[in-house]
Amino acid sequence: MSELILEAVNLEYSYQDGTNALRKVNLQVEKGEKLAILGSNGAGKSTLFMQFNGIFRPNSGFIKYQGEDISYKGKALIELRKKVGIVFQDPDSQLFSASVYQDISFGPLNLGLSEEKVAERVKQALTDTETTDLEDKPTHLLSYGQKKRVSIAGVLAMEPEVIIFDEPTAGLDPRHSQEFMQLLENLSIEGKTIILSTHDVDLAYSWSDRIAIMYNGEIMAHGAPGELFMRPENVKRADLTLPWLIEMHSELVQKGWLPPSTPLPKTREDLFNSIMAKSETSVKT
Amino acid sequence: MISIDCYAYSNNLKTVHPVEKSLFAMITMVVCLTSPTVITPLIVLALMTGGIVCKAGIPPRVFVKLMLVPLSFLLISVLTIAFSISTNPSGFWLAQTINSVTVGTRYPDLITAVHLFLRSLGAVSCLYFLALTTPMTEIITVLNKMKVPVIITELMVLIYRFIFVFMDTATTIRRAQFSRSGYVSMKGSYRSLSRLFSALLGKVFVKSQELYNSMAARCYTGEIKVLTKKRPVSLRNYLIITGFEIPLILLNLLWR
Repeated sequence: MSELILEAVNLEYSYQDGTNALRKVNLQVEKGEKLAILGSNGAGKSTLFMQFNGIFRPNSGFIKYQGEDISYKGKALIELRKKVGIVFQDPDSQLFSASVYQDISFGPLNLGLSEEKVAERVKQALTDTETTDLEDKPTHLLSYGQKKRVSIAGVLAMEPEVIIFDEPTAGLDPRHSQEFMQLLENLSIEGKTIILSTHDVDLAYSWSDRIAIMYNGEIMAHGAPGELFMRPENVKRADLTLPWLIEMHSELVQKGWLPPSTPLPKTREDLFNSIMAKSETSVKT
Repeated sequence: MISIDCYAYSNNLKTVHPVEKSLFAMITMVVCLTSPTVITPLIVLALMTGGIVCKAGIPPRVFVKLMLVPLSFLLISVLTIAFSISTNPSGFWLAQTINSVTVGTRYPDLITAVHLFLRSLGAVSCLYFLALTTPMTEIITVLNKMKVPVIITELMVLIYRFIFVFMDTATTIRRAQFSRSGYVSMKGSYRSLSRLFSALLGKVFVKSQELYNSMAARCYTGEIKVLTKKRPVSLRNYLIITGFEIPLILLNLLWR
């Protein structure tokens, strides 16, 4: 079993107005994994994320980073935030400067790096998010998707170990959301741990190593995507739907067009290949 | 105002070092304001028009429109200086007497008015040069270099950014109100406008909390530190600035 990097233990949190946002949340994140947190609006995903780098402090329970309880004292907290980065859902509340370049340089400068080093990191982050041609533009003249990419660059430039994305593809067009998934893949290959929240079940299913379903402040179920979606009651109760790949697959198996032994398709190519394989064997017989 | 901001990011002088542009605009403005003659403001006006239209590539129509904005204020204030009302008809250069009240202008007053008018217009053109060629973010960097207190420059950074965020929000709310006939009557308009403001105020608090959270997530500890893209420092530009300013200063001094 691989090493745990982040862990939430019996986390309870309620907002000042009394809303119970998190109830006894237990979640383990392994180093280098791709974890998707699925949940409908108001399920507590964003609140949970704010706990992971110490912005909100739990009422009870605790967060562990690499096996140790996190501390909420100045220096240790900065150390944690260096390792765990969050890309917020609304880029307009993350970008504080009107200059793209200045905004991206904010995080790495706070880490106490030299100006040359920061300039290097900003350049790299601009390249990684394909925003190099936007560096001279003011943030208020960018489109939503562009702002989103700039806000991602602002976190990438800090080179955290764990990157948390809150609803990253919401508001992106299909092309940019595909490019974003490619960026995630690259980060994953570099060995970063990635957590993302979404209510796009297809995306969560195809991309992740593991899925946790949140509902009403609780982790309702978690496990490998294939297993999790084979129990449709989980999905229904959390106000979600089944991924189309799984629906299609089970329909084909039920109708007898695919043998029941066919492995679950992870991507649309997998599904097309198994259909092709089946039709080729039937032609032969 | 928004168009000035757009031009600041897209003019032909945007890559010139902001310190050079600020220096040019500020020195010229001081020279213009302290000039004892009407010739200096005229030269300054020509210089800045050339800089804005030819060098920076701002469309002349836009520049003329912008210059017309202060013109109306200026004309009104200058007229009150040029013209006076008096019961003593002596000393007037051009006047009309009606029932022993003389309305007219005295020659020295007229000269003062014209001089003031041109000096103001010249100074405004210097400010426009800076505003049209240098983005706000870079002006703030210059202020930082001049050791303006951090609290002021940080506030400027945030205010400048959030003007646009809240203007966007306000535009969206207003459109939604329009589409539901929120402004068809006088009474309705007042009500809609007040609701717009209260909605906006609520948003301001939510946004500021969110902004704080997201900045804290990036290790914010109470001081906004940012890096600005380095612009090349050009000796040539400094020479050009000196070349323009020295004759203007000499002109001011020798006229006395």
